[in-house]
Order: sequence, then C-alpha cells, then structure tokens
Amino acid sequence: MKKRILTSLAAIIATCVLITGCGASSGNGNVNQGGKTAEEPTTAPKTNEPVTIRVALSKGEVSDDEVKEFETNNPGIKITLEEIDQQKLAAQLATNDAPDLIRAQGAVDLTSYVVKGLAMDLTPFMQTSQVLKEDDFLSPVNLYRFDGKVQGQGPIYGMPKDWSPDFTIFYNKTLFDAAGVKVPDSKEPLTWNELMELAKKLTLTEDGKVKQYGLALLGKTQADFPSIMLEMASKGVNVFSEDMKTADFTKPEVKEAVSMWVDAVKKNLGKNDVNQDPAAWGGDLFMNNKAAMIMAGYWFSGMIRGDEKMKTHLDDFGMLAAPIAENGERVSPTGAATGFIINKNTEHPEQAWKVFEYIMAGTPAKNRATGGWGVPALKSLLPLMPQVTDFDKRVYNQLQEELKYSNGFLESNPFLLNGQTLLDKYVTPVYFGKADLDEALKELTKNANLIIQENMNAIQ
Amino acid sequence: MLQTKKWRQYATFYAFVSPWLIIFIFLGLFPLLYGLYLSFTNFTGFNMNQLKFVGFSNYKTVFLDSESMYALGRTLLVTAINVPISLAIGLFLAVLLNLKIKGLSWWRTAFYIPSVVPVVSTVLMWKFIFSGDGLLNTLFDKLQLQPINWLGYEYATTALIVMLLWGAGGSLLINLAGLKGIPADLYEAAEIDGASPVRKFFTVTLPLMTHILFFNLIMGIIGSLQIYIQPILLSGKTLLDSPIKPNYLYLVHAFQQIFAFQRFGYGLALMWVLFIAILLLTVLVFYSSRFWVYYETDQEV
Repeated sequence: MKKRILTSLAAIIATCVLITGCGASSGNGNVNQGGKTAEEPTTAPKTNEPVTIRVALSKGEVSDDEVKEFETNNPGIKITLEEIDQQKLAAQLATNDAPDLIRAQGAVDLTSYVVKGLAMDLTPFMQTSQVLKEDDFLSPVNLYRFDGKVQGQGPIYGMPKDWSPDFTIFYNKTLFDAAGVKVPDSKEPLTWNELMELAKKLTLTEDGKVKQYGLALLGKTQADFPSIMLEMASKGVNVFSEDMKTADFTKPEVKEAVSMWVDAVKKNLGKNDVNQDPAAWGGDLFMNNKAAMIMAGYWFSGMIRGDEKMKTHLDDFGMLAAPIAENGERVSPTGAATGFIINKNTEHPEQAWKVFEYIMAGTPAKNRATGGWGVPALKSLLPLMPQVTDFDKRVYNQLQEELKYSNGFLESNPFLLNGQTLLDKYVTPVYFGKADLDEALKELTKNANLIIQENMNAIQ
Repeated sequence: MLQTKKWRQYATFYAFVSPWLIIFIFLGLFPLLYGLYLSFTNFTGFNMNQLKFVGFSNYKTVFLDSESMYALGRTLLVTAINVPISLAIGLFLAVLLNLKIKGLSWWRTAFYIPSVVPVVSTVLMWKFIFSGDGLLNTLFDKLQLQPINWLGYEYATTALIVMLLWGAGGSLLINLAGLKGIPADLYEAAEIDGASPVRKFFTVTLPLMTHILFFNLIMGIIGSLQIYIQPILLSGKTLLDSPIKPNYLYLVHAFQQIFAFQRFGYGLALMWVLFIAILLLTVLVFYSSRFWVYYETDQEV
C-alpha cells in the first residue's frame, strides 16, 4: 500500500531526475557545443538527408499548409510542430532534448531564458539577414534584447511573432445604452479611477443578481499583476531594485493600485474570487454580452470580427486607450509580445534560423497580419492589417494612437516568474476581509524576495 | 551442498522478481534517492553544473515556513474529515448494493462512475454546481433559502470535501468483495437467534469487514494527504493558479514552489517531509489495527 505513494512520489521525482540528469548533460553539452553559434559552420550533415527543426508553439500558430510551403521551398529542412507544455519543456531543456525554436513571451519570460543560458544570441544572424532588418522592427522587438541587466539593450535573443498594446479597452455600446451611460471619448485615456467609476455605473444588478458586469479582464477582475505593473509604469514607480535583487510591493503606490482592485471586487465589477462566476475567462463574459468593457489587446478585435452574433452589429464595438494613473504618464505597452527564441543547444542553428525567418517574415507573418489577431513585429507588414469595415478602421486608428505610447516596457524580473500566482495567494484573503492589505503586501514582498534570492544564488 | 541449494533458491527468487526489481530500482528507488539528494541542494531546475550543498536548510524552511505548516494543518483537517466519512459512505453503499434489489447492476455502475471520471472533469462539474448562480444555489433559491458562496472563504473546504465524498463509491468493489466473503451461515445463525438487521450488521458484518476497512483507511489517508489538483482547479483555471487560502493544501504548496517558483530543492524537501509523515501515520494505523481489526486466521499482517 505504500507503493502508491512511492509511485506518485517517484513520478514527481523522476521528473526532477530527468531535469537534473539532463542538467548534467546540458552542462557538458555547453562545454562541447556551447560555442556553436552563428559564426561557426553548422555541424549539419553534408549529405542530402533533410534536417528536422522542432518548433514548440501553441496550437494553430503555424499551420500545416505553411509548413508544407516552407518544406517545398527548403528541401533540406523538415519542420516538426510540437505543442508547448511548460513542465515538459523544463524537462526537455534539462535533458538537452528541447525543440530548436521555443515559444517565449518578451514581456514575461525572455529575460529568464537568457539568465539561464538557454537562448541563443541571434545578433550575428540578424546582422546578415535579408528579410529581418532592424529599421523594419517595431519597438516591442526590443523586448527580446537583454544585456543581463537591462531589458531592451544588448544582444537580441528572438522576436515577437506579433503583439498588441495589451491594456486597451474594448466596449460594447449596447450594454452602455442599457446602463444609460455614454461611451467615453477614445482620444483621451481614462485614468484608473475614471475607469473604475465607469465600470461601476455599467454594472447592473436585478433581484440581487448581476445582469451585466462593468469591466472584464482576461482572467478575473481583481488584482492583476500586469495591470498593476502598468499603473506603476504610468506613475514611474519601480517595484524591483535596479540590480534585480529585491522587490518591494509595500510601496504606497502599489498599495493604492491593489486596493483599487480590492474595491473592484467589493463592487462586483466583474468575475472574481468572491462571486465565483463560472465563465471560463473574461472574454466569455464580453462575447456573451455580460460585460460592457474588457481590457484586452488589439488581438481581441479578431474575436469580435470572427463572432457570428457580433459580426452583424460591429458598429456597437470599439477600442479605447489604455488607462493611465492619476496625473500619470500615458503608456500603452504590451504585456506579452509572444514570439520565439532559438535554443542555444540546437544542433542546426542555420536551419533553425531559416525557420525563424520564415515564421517572422514569411507567409505565417503575412497571414497573421491579415488576420488581424495582433500587430505584426515588422513595420512593413502593418498595411496588411484589416481595414475593411468601419469597425476595422476605428480599431486600427485607435491602435495607431496607442503605438505612439508603446515604446516602454513593463518591469519584470528574470528571477521571479508567475508573479500572479504569488499575488493571488496573498491578496485573495483580503477580498474576503480575512487579511489586512498591508500585511498581505508585506508577506508578498517577503516571499518574492526569497524566491528572487534563491533563483539568483542558484546560477551565481 | 546445502550452500549451493540455498544459493540456487535465492537466484531463482531474484530471477523471478527481477523484472519488477529492475524497473523499481531505476524508476523508483534511484529517482527517490536522487530527489533526496537534491533536497539538500539549491537546485532550481537549471543549475545542475553549479549545484551547492545546503545541508538541512531546505528542511528547516519546511518547518519555519508558516505557509507549509498552515498547508499541512489544512491537509490533515481535510483528511480527518474526508477519510472517516468516505469509509462510512463506502461501506453503507456496499451494504445497500449487496441486497437483492431491482436494477442492481445499474446502481452499482452509478455509484462507481465517479471513480472512473477523470478528476479534471469532476472538478469542472462541481464548479458549475457550486458557483454563484450554480445548480446548488438555484436549488436553494427554489427552496426559498439564502444562497451560499460555496467557493468563498467560509465554505470552500466544505465544498472540497463534498466533492471528494462524491468519489466515496470508489471503495465499492473491494467492499462488495468483502461482503461476499462473509459466510452466509453466520447470518443464518444470527437469524435463528432472532437478531434484527441492525444487530446483524454490527455483530456480524462490521467485525468481518474490519480488515477491508483497515485497507481502505490506509489507502484513504495516503490518497487524502496527496490531494492537490482538486483545490487548484476548484478556484483556478491552470495548475499554477493559487487556490483560495483555506484550500491551500500541502501538495499544492509543494507543486507551486517547484513549478511556479523553481524552488526544486525546497519542494523536494517538502515532499520528503510528507513522505515521512505518511509513513508515521501508516505505522500508527498499523499498530492500532491489532486492537480493532479482526482476522479469521490468527495471522497478522
């Protein structure tokens, strides 16, 4: 009977062993092939045997037709698409068995890949590329630059396939009408307080039940890590110290931002931990006419455009500027910038780069741009974005406005991933009145620092 | 002469168990010990070539970290409530389904189904039942009762336990087998003596089922202490989401430390502490069994 616990324990530990066993071999691997970057000739066999390049991505990001097209034009290279799974990837990286191209998020985990020595420096490739040219890059490409201290500077390790200023707000005018509220002017950004006030007016209840919510986020309408970092960016406040060694969530500005979200939960402005709305995500609420606004990037216009019911009255939808802090600077950065890095230990850097170029500037890039599911990373692809209907044009024009304020980045720390998990852990009791916000933020800071320190010590 | 014979016996024995033994050593024992070794290092998943020995520091953290102790407390509470009730329900169901009633196989299937349904679907289903405007609150509304925030702070653990109890039919098969194993002549003798059904249950069925209950108790304790996916998905969407605090169980804590924050060394120390805790509890239950478990043979396990 102890077997069951043994086996389950073993399963978990086996994963670790995989990772470590691999860690060891990848350590050696580094010595043997670490220098194998762009400068060196590839070790690819000179025979006609095609080289297989494995790409870890989310389903549908590159289509089978696109793979076929690439393989026809590049007979020496075959592409295998693998659905990305973070836990599996961790094991693969440790065993030196990771895919050649790996899906990454510039604003979230790029720096972490770099400090762990898992991302290949693509600068030499970029310098000689015929299709990816620096003066064609939009600013979020810089999220893939990291010199070990400052993100946005130094060698380039990848680039976004597409991106959006992620904090714009989509509205549904029908629900504004139902609440008797006017849609605000899209030229001027709302402040966070104004946004919350608006959301409160838009939240309608009937017999104690919510008829419509005011504001949906992609997840829950409660303390949201990226949104808080956005507010800090607008206020010019740093949460992490310059040397990345510490975090401080006890700053009064952070407290103010979090308490605003605690208030949003109290006022029931959207799906949250207290009301436990069963909607799968905020988008579900918006698409089912249950939320008057949703904070989402330009890509969300693709959802509206593609929805059978919404398609018929696109005039009711539009996009507003990203909110700013009270007296804060206007910023509208990306919260993700999803793209690819090349695995430092790839055996076929040249071929991997070919695939990278194809995904970033070839047919997949063009298809993404025309689909309107995000902003391309290349200026030259911008004109391909949909501008047919009035809705398209309205959203596109607002986007152009936002792009002027999208050069800055949200603060992140390579040694602290999953800030949201940590934030939820300490702040959720506050929604239920079971903990004091000051105490919660103190605990959050303490534990964040512990994690940063441990992860930092581990690689030094 | 004797020596060779004995040696031969050993060799035969190990040859026969070798398929299991080899697999166990490579996929069981080695990973376990390797995990034990890593729990004494500052392993974070990617620093294999710079591993540092940190002594008992990770273990010290387990006991000094208020979260792990809180999580352990909650886990023990959930176990203390879940295990006895599910034992009782499991036995009760088995006794009912051992009767000759109409549609017996249908009932048996119905009660056993929860054990076959994947845990993720189970949680999603219960999420709809427990949610704000969910099934349960709609029913409450119809009955003119105040709706309850089942997944909120006060009731989240209750909700979790109710969900776990839904799977109490899992012990049905083994319970039924146990009931079938009770000799019918004991019941006949009891009937001749004029025992009521209740009396029959307590004096015949229950004592002869104690060894089955004992087995279920140990499996229940082990299973209950290792719960982690249900509380996470009950309030979250992905495995890295934080469950609501009262449902922050021990394994959730360990999982988060490892996979969300890359604290592999600490996470493994947490697992080893749990392993020892389970071992101790099991030994305790085994020890207690001599006072309440009845074996027809005089042999002890």
